[in-house]
Formats: sequence, structure tokens, C-alpha cells
Amino acid sequence: MSAVAAVKFVTETPPEEIERVKAWINSEEYKEKNFARTALVVNPAHACQPLGAQMVATGFEGALPFIHGSQGCASYFRSTFSRHYREPAAATCDAMTEDGAVFGGQNNLFEGLENAYALYKPKMIPIFTTCMPEVIGDDLTAFTRNAKLQGFIPEDLPTPYANTPSFNGTHIHGYDSMLLSILQTLTDGQKVEGKCTGKLNIIPGFDGNVGNLREYKRILELMGIPYTMLADVSDVFDSGCDGEYKLYPGGTRMEDAAESINGKATLSLQKYSTVTTMKWIESEYDGEKAILPMPFGVKKTDELLLKLSELFDKPIPTELKAERARAVDAMTDAHQYLHGRKFAIAGDPDYLLGIVSFLLEMGARPWHVLCSRATKKFQKEMDALLASSPFGEGCTCYINKDLWHMRSLLVTDPVDGIIGDTHAKWAARDARIPLFRIGFPIIDRVNLHRTPVVGYTGAISMLTMLANKFLDIKDETCEDQWFEMMR
Amino acid sequence: MAEKKLRQIAIYGKGGIGKSTTTQNTVAGLASLGKRVLIIGCDPKADSTRLILHAKAQTTVMDKVRELGTVEDLELEDVCKRGYGDIMCVESGGPEPGVGCAGRGVITAINFLEEEGAYTPDLDYVFYDVLGDVVCGGFAMPIRENKAQEIYIVVSGEMMAMYAANNICKGIVKYAASGSVRLAGLICNSRNTDREADLIEALAKRLGTQMIHFVPRDNQVQRAELRRMTVIEYSPEHKQAQEYRELARKIAENEMFVIPTPLEMEDLEELLMEFGIMEADDESIIGVAENA
Amino acid sequence: MAERKPIKGITTEKTEKLIADTLAEMPEKTQKKRAPHLGANEPSASPCAVKSNKKVVPGVMSQRGCAYAGAKGVVWGPIRDMVHVSHGPVGCGVYSWGTRRNLMQGIPGVTSFPMDFTSDFQERDIVYGGDLKLEKLLREADELFPLNKGLSVLSECPVGLIGDDINAVAKKMENELGKLVVPCNCEGFRGVSQSLGHHISNDSIRDHIIGKFEFKEEPGPYDVALIGDYNIGGDVWAAKPILEEIGLNVKSVWTGDGEVEKIGATHSVKLNLIHCYRSMNYMCKVMEEKWGIPWLEYNFFGPTKIEESLRAIGECFDDKIRKNVEKVIRKYKPVMQAVVDEYKPRLDGKTAMLFVGGLRPRHTIGAYEDLGIQITGAGYEFAHQDDYDRTAPEMAKGTLIYDDVSEFELEKFVEELKPDLVGSGIKEKYVFQKAGIPFRQMHSWDYSGPYHGYEGFKIFARDIDMAINSPTWDLVKAPF
Repeated sequence: MSAVAAVKFVTETPPEEIERVKAWINSEEYKEKNFARTALVVNPAHACQPLGAQMVATGFEGALPFIHGSQGCASYFRSTFSRHYREPAAATCDAMTEDGAVFGGQNNLFEGLENAYALYKPKMIPIFTTCMPEVIGDDLTAFTRNAKLQGFIPEDLPTPYANTPSFNGTHIHGYDSMLLSILQTLTDGQKVEGKCTGKLNIIPGFDGNVGNLREYKRILELMGIPYTMLADVSDVFDSGCDGEYKLYPGGTRMEDAAESINGKATLSLQKYSTVTTMKWIESEYDGEKAILPMPFGVKKTDELLLKLSELFDKPIPTELKAERARAVDAMTDAHQYLHGRKFAIAGDPDYLLGIVSFLLEMGARPWHVLCSRATKKFQKEMDALLASSPFGEGCTCYINKDLWHMRSLLVTDPVDGIIGDTHAKWAARDARIPLFRIGFPIIDRVNLHRTPVVGYTGAISMLTMLANKFLDIKDETCEDQWFEMMR
Repeated sequence: MAEKKLRQIAIYGKGGIGKSTTTQNTVAGLASLGKRVLIIGCDPKADSTRLILHAKAQTTVMDKVRELGTVEDLELEDVCKRGYGDIMCVESGGPEPGVGCAGRGVITAINFLEEEGAYTPDLDYVFYDVLGDVVCGGFAMPIRENKAQEIYIVVSGEMMAMYAANNICKGIVKYAASGSVRLAGLICNSRNTDREADLIEALAKRLGTQMIHFVPRDNQVQRAELRRMTVIEYSPEHKQAQEYRELARKIAENEMFVIPTPLEMEDLEELLMEFGIMEADDESIIGVAENA
Repeated sequence: MAERKPIKGITTEKTEKLIADTLAEMPEKTQKKRAPHLGANEPSASPCAVKSNKKVVPGVMSQRGCAYAGAKGVVWGPIRDMVHVSHGPVGCGVYSWGTRRNLMQGIPGVTSFPMDFTSDFQERDIVYGGDLKLEKLLREADELFPLNKGLSVLSECPVGLIGDDINAVAKKMENELGKLVVPCNCEGFRGVSQSLGHHISNDSIRDHIIGKFEFKEEPGPYDVALIGDYNIGGDVWAAKPILEEIGLNVKSVWTGDGEVEKIGATHSVKLNLIHCYRSMNYMCKVMEEKWGIPWLEYNFFGPTKIEESLRAIGECFDDKIRKNVEKVIRKYKPVMQAVVDEYKPRLDGKTAMLFVGGLRPRHTIGAYEDLGIQITGAGYEFAHQDDYDRTAPEMAKGTLIYDDVSEFELEKFVEELKPDLVGSGIKEKYVFQKAGIPFRQMHSWDYSGPYHGYEGFKIFARDIDMAINSPTWDLVKAPF
């Protein structure tokens, strides 16, 4: 007979037992047990592939993201984007149910495409998948072709698709796959030998901060470099309120995306979220190709400007030189508030590399770096970055660990600040350590997705956020005799 | 020089028909003709490469994925082995019967091989040795667009083998409508049934295809298998080795690629009756118990 | 109940024309599918003519979620002392982590678990199956969170597709751990909406929890359970005190801020008070059949409905309770009047359109009306026929009823009816705000709340006034 089959009384956990466990979960012993688990994941810091695919799909003008699979997934992705950006996140879905699971999803796709096209009049329907069709093995090449052959959508409507199973990789891989597919579709037959648009193709990668995207564009404009930003969500996920809702408020123009294959150069600013895309671009696109780290802090921004200058043979304008000097001025002025401060950072690989680089520049000490899904290659790169500075000494990079592991680290080996997305707030609260919200999603503060953290101006913003918080804490918590006018 | 055109071939057939043995001997035959071949076993049993590698069971893609936890940390050389005649061998692997999703294992493995560049330009052939029947989307992965374009079905004169062959043709029709996959022929792996060659010839004709070769039954195959070898390698001079080389040559020279015309059940049964494999139903005995 | 007065400018003919015009823009097959789900209200019609609980039409941009969302997000997630495992790939658990606002007491990670537990399926788990991993995971979870009172296993799509047997694993682990381990086969592809997830979850409570526990203390005549209040924004904490004030003894709450053992002992109460009929009527019926416990629907939104409900509850008990009811109503009358006096002058004559899950459109109408706001359109994401039957009499003649409305349809309807407020969900919010239309999220109370009970009405009134009368709306049109 089952252990709980017999009727039991409702119990109250004794207070001393609660106290014991409360103390125990903060102990070294618990940390060891916590790190020993191999099956359970608690509070992961990553999402699934189709979310990233939807971000890319949103970034092209007139494109309607289309989810092939379960409708619940579509609702989750849309809600997640709307909570983070406080913007509409249009996407449609072909709502596969039990019959689809058995017979495949072709009929759902047909009907879905027909309706989506009739109701929302998109210029492109990028399709990506949820787990369900991935498990049963739906063949999207055949399905989309059949949909066109049978007249559900026009023959010439671009329908790039990406397989984005959630049981593989994370949102950044979905970003990569969808971007690759859209570019392959739109540039098909567009390559003209010897034709050069003279433009830079810039790929921001999976970045929930539209301020960053705008900052890249501002830098390019200051340098006088013509550009096409690929998967440009800045006007879609940061659209104005003027009394009229626009389903398609912006994004990379289709013509520009098609012409990108004849560009003068292509630059990715996120290595890990554009691996397969850049590999393909490397072999198919004209012009120079470069993959740079996200320009967090001064040195990485320098690297970006030098690269741009080299690629386009343009001098770095006085204005940017002045910006650099101002950023350095701010950093030297405020170094005392961050020097030696220890940080725990959780996030996506490219963000982590950028943030760590900035902290090292400030003389702050990255201490726990955690990526809840990453490869050993990433870990090696992070370790090399940490080894490049004395301030990286003592820091450990954890991969495939979650925010409950992070909690154990924070309570047993505390730091001064945590950098991560909103999900880190639980661990931060338990450990009584301030959380600086940088990453995706941020669903409990306003406008952080609009404040750039890249470039020289971004460095100043980050510095301001970090240093002032430490000063606030000092003012709020110090005893009266230590409270003073200046800090 | 014209670029070498990679031919991708999928071998289907009812379970137990001798598909893997036929595939490996044929591939060995092609290798002996100087062709470069990659075999991808798409069957969780993972017995598609052992005669080439002289191994009990090759480490499969899914074994490795299970061990490492993620596909991303997997390296091609962990799962792609070189065997007899420089044939490259990969097994997708998968679960024991009754658990998990073997079809997804095929998808995972093929995606991995494509991403990691296993389809090197020096290859002449890729052979997919696929489990029994097209049972779910995953097992149709090898015949999707840009993958195998030629399908050979291994069949014998036994009734169930022919049923399976006809069913596989139905699957091919579905994919052929939107893509370029075609049926390239039936390979008769003889079980010494009556009028077997004629029967398969007739079936092939009805399906709109050809019986590309009749492989006679010969115990030499088993003798070679005991040594985990193909006949081609074990006894290249034996007449059975000659049969496989012949099959390999025919495949190499084959130009007959069709969208099959699968038979309705009644037509298939009629054909079987015509050859005496099946008797006409005596309606008076249906559903009547012995002592009724 | 008296039929509502017609709303100025709303007629059945106009509404029907609006529906016809909207349908006209759809492909023919879709028109046919959608037409039965849209209608002009006929308050006296029973049953309501609008059809519901049908499959989503592919491609129309529905706002619906899935069975997993209904199970994990709605029913299970709020039970605070259980570890709820999202079994399958990582996404579902992450997206539903902390995004429903079912608040709970307790120490996170010690006595309450407002966290994301997942098996984070990888390719290998799909191919080889996840049963062994689940077994291990449950063991690890119990070791690391020893004060949990049970574990639930909520399966995501792939688990059902590959044919894992979570029920067998749960049974085995229940024996091993000596704790409740409840399997819930709520794969997202099952059913047509969240609703099936509610039903499946009710069934697993029936099969695995109810009747397994007993309260130590003797049952009393005033023992009740609160069913279908998920404590969104603290609603339970505003509703429960009222019931206690009229002398009832709230023994358990399903499932907001809920405790699983108390839920399992609910079969000893005298009356089940059900708030969200849609998601938990099943269990009320089970308890009625099996233990003879009557159940009563109640509505704690706005003073009018609170008073109605309290009196109906009083009728189920003795004079003592009935007297208490009148005392409580008297006590709060001036408090509520003060709220109405403050806000109604700024809201009187305004209109609102609602589109929420399975209950709130009809339940909140009274609260809007207490503030002088009329409802010109209402509909549900996942309601059934009985929900629409309960809605029709609460709406004026000719108002618009829409089931599983798509973004396309709702936009057209709002454009035509021009309400002063739209109350719906996060996915709809910014669409309408961009158009300059005030909006409140009615699933999550827009990060505010509680809205239940007397305390809640004060906040509701403030929020609705804030939304409609914010000076920021005056800035939408630029002077140039």
C-alpha cells in the first residue's frame, strides 16, 4: 500500500525545523549538495529557442512571426516580450492540438498561413517551431512549399523557417537559426558580382536593450558609415504612442536585407548568438566580415571604432573621441566606488563577456560568473578574459548552472553586487545583495531596456547605476555618526 | 573538372529483411569500385556499420549526446569512424524499444552531421540505413529535401515484406509531391520463396519501378557476418561477393528514378494470390471457431 | 434580477453589423468558424447563443494559452508548500515563473516554493525518454527542499509525445519519499485552451489529494472552503477576512496561498464557496457527489455584489451568521460609499470593454457599475457555455459578446465601440494604449491589487480612475 494512502492529519511544520532548514540552505554543506544535483534545474537563467526566433522575426519590416506548434508557446513568447518592452508583440500561431500530434501539422500550417496572410497582410511570414512538431518530425520545407502550391499564400511571399526545438540550446540559438533562414531567403538570387552597396551590415544579436541598438546606429551615423541593421527591433519594440496602433512599426527593410549580400562589410556584435549565421555569411556574402565582442566599457568600444574605421577607411570623429574622454573621465572620477567591489553576474554568453570586461576596466572584481547554458568554448573564452587582468583573479565561471546554484554561491561567498535579469531578484533578496538589472527579461523596472549599456555613453550609464546604488546603500544603512554630506 | 555530385541514398525495408547486411555489402561493393561512401545508420539498434568497422556496436551520436548532456559539446570524430575501404560510418542510435522517441534521435543525428560538416566534398555517396518502416516524421528525415533523393527498398517474396514495401512507397509519394525524392528500385534479398524473382519483378512493375537486383540467398553471408565482415571483404572472390558488386554497379549506373504508384490493398492481395502467396478468402469460415 | 437599461448608442442591429463587417474580411472558412463565437447580447436568452470552447482557428492571433498554463499557472502554482516541477524543456517553466501574481506566504525555498523547477529536457531526454531523469529529479528536489509537503509533476508537450509514463514514476516516488507526488498530464497540445488544464488538474486533485488528509480539530458548523481564488495580487487576503468577520471558519483555500494538506482535508467542510467557477466547478461537483458538500458561487467584486453574495452565503447558515452578515454590510456601507463618492463623479457614464479568462468579465461588471461605468462588450479566452449563460443577464441588450476573440477582431470592435477603458491581458495592453485607449490588465490586476472584497474595491476604484483619467492620455496627440 502506498505510503500516503492512509489518511493523515494536517500538520504544521515546527518552527524550530523551519529555522533549521532556513539556516541550512545558506550553509556550505547545502551548497555542496546543491552543486551535486544532476537532474533537477531550479530557476534557470535561460529561455527556449523559439523566443529568440521571434525576436529576429520581429526585426524585419512587415514581418509577422508565425509559430508552428502549440498555441500556449505563442502566448508565452508574446507575453514575455510585452512584459519586458511594455510593447505589443504580434505573432501568430497555427495552434496544433492532439490530432496534429498524430497526423502532423501540415493542415494547421495551411490554415494558419492563409488566415495570417488574409488578416494581417504581412510582407513576410517567418516560421519557427515549438517542441511539438520537432518531436513528431514535421517537414517545414515540404509543408511551406505545399502551402504555396495549393494557393494558401502567394508564391512570392517569403516564408523563411527555422527549426527551433526547445530541448536544444537556448533563445540565442533560436535567434541564430531564424536570422540565418531569413537572410538565406531574402538574399536568394540577389548576389551581383562586383556590385557593392557600400554599406555595413550590422547584427546586434539577441539584445533586449533597444537603447543599445539605437546607440550602435548613432555611432555609425557619427562615423558617416551607411549601414543596414539586420533584425532591427528598435522601432518595433520601442514604438511611440501617437494614438494609432501600428502592427508593423519598423524593422529592417526587406530591400535592405536582400541587398545585404552585396554589402561592403558585415559585422556581428554577438559571437555566440550568431555562430551559424556568420559561418554562412562568411562563405556567401561579399565584403569583409568581422565578429566583435559587445562593446561594453571603453576597450571594447575602442575595438569597435577601430574596426569600423579600418573597414570603411574613415577617421574616428572628434565627437566620439570627446565621448571616450568623457567616459574615461567619469570612470577615473568614480573608480573609488567600484574598485575591488566583487560582483556576481548571470546572463547570456555575449553579455557576460561584455560586462566582465567593463568590470575589469573599473578595477572591480567579477567573482561568480554564471551562464545557465553554454559550451566549454565559452567557458574557455571567459577564463582567458579573466586571466587577462589581475582583477579577474579568484573569479569562477560556472556553466550549465542555474540561479539556485547562484544563490548558494551568494550566501556562502558573498559579493557586493549582482548583475543579471529580473529572475536574479530572488537570489539577490535572499542574500541581501543589490541587483543591477542588465539583460533579458527585465519585467519589474521601467525603461531599463531603453537605456544603452554599450558604447562610451553606456559605460557612463552603467557606472552611474552601480556607483550610486552603493552610495545609496551607504546612506540608507550607516549609523547616524557616519552619515555625512559628501560621498 | 566537373564537381563531384554527391548521391544520397536511403535504404528502407521491413525489419529483419536483411537491410543492414545488404546495405553494408553494397557499400563495400561501391568502395571496392573506388567510391567514397558515408553510411548513416538510422535505427536505434545501431547495427548498420558493424560489418564495415568489425565492431560489435559503434558509439552512436545519441550515446555521446547522452554522455555529454548536449549536442554542442560533441565532436565529429567522436562518432564518425573510418572502416573497410575508407567507408565513413555513423550510427544515430537511440533508445530501447518502448521509451523515448527514436525518430527524434535520427533528426538530432542528421542535424549534427550537417552542422559539423560530415558531408565532405570528397564523398560520392551517403547511405542512410533506415529502420523498418516510415513510422513517424523522424524516420522520414533522411528523405526530406536536400537529403536522400534515391530510395531503394529491400524486399523478399514474403507477404509482410511486400506489404511493408508498398507502405513505404505511400510514404515516398507524400514526400515526392513537394520534393525531389524518388524511388530508385527494389532490391530482392532472397528468402527462397516460390517464383520470388518473378513476383518481385511483377510488384516492381506495378509500383512503376524496377527490381534492380536479385540477391540470392547464400550462407557465405552468415559466415562473413560471424567475423563481423562483409562478404566483399571476407571472401572477395566468392560468387556472393560478385552479386553485391553487381548490385553496387547497378546502383552506380541507375538512372530510373520514379514517383511510385503504390497499390491499393485489394490489388496487392490480388497480386499475392496470383503468385499463390495468399489464398482467396473463404467467406464461410471467417469468424467461425473450431468447435462451433 | 432586473434587466439592464440599454446603453446609449448600442443596439442589436448595430452590433450585428459590426460583427458582419469584421467577419467579411476573413477567408470564407474562417468566417464560418468564427461567426458562432460572436454575437449581440440577448439578456433573456438561455442558453446564450454565443458558442465557446472550440479549437482556436489557426493563424488568427488568439490570446489563448494551453493546458499546461491552466494546470501549472492557474491551479498548481499557487499551492505554496509544494514543489511544482515543469517536466519537459526549459521554456514553459521560465515563462510561467512569477508571471501570474499568485502571491504566497512562507519563506521562499524553505516553506514556500515560488520558483521554477524544471527537468530542462535536452535532445537526449527526448530520444531516450525522461522517466529516469524525473525519478532522480524528484529525489533531488525532496532532498534540497525537505519541508515541501508534496511534489507535482506537470508534463509539457514532449513528455506526452514520446510516451513517458509520469504516473508510474510518481507512484514509485510517492512510496519512496513518503510524500505526495502528483502527476498531472497537462501537455500543452491537449484540449483547446487553458481550460482543459484546469479540468485535468481538478482530476488529479480528486485522484491524489482530496480525502487523503484530515484536520486535527473536530469539524465545526461554520467550516467552509474558499474554492477558485488564486490570490492574484493578494485577493485571498482581502476576501478571507470578510468571511471570518461574518463568523465563518475558512479551513482551506483552493489554491491561492494554498496548503496542500488542508486542500486534502477539505471534504470535512460544510460549504464550498466558489469564486472561479470555470476552473474549479469540477471539484465542487466531486465533493458534492462524494461527500454531500453543497457549493455556492459568490462574487466579491464591488459593494453591490459583495452584499448580494454575503446575504446568499448567510442563507446557507443560521441566524447568527445572517445577523453578522447584516452587521458587516452596515459596517462597510459608509466606507464603500466614500469610495464611490470620491471616484464616481469622474467615471460616471464611461464605458468599458472586457476580455479575460473564464470568470472576470461577468464578475467585475458589478464593480464597474458601482462606479458608474457601463460594459459595452465582454468575452472570454477559455469559457464554456455555462459561463456565457451566466454572462448574458449581466449585460445590456445588444452589447457585444465575443469568445476567444482574435487580435484582429478585438481591434475592430474597440475601434468601433470606442470604450473609455479596455480591461484585458498583457498581450492586448499595449495595442490599445498605443491607440490612446486607457487599459488595465485584468488577469494580473496590472501589478496592483487586491481587487476582491471591501479592501480590494478601494484599490480597484483608484486604479480604474487612474487609468481613465491619467493626464498622460492628453499628451498623445502632438500639437504639430
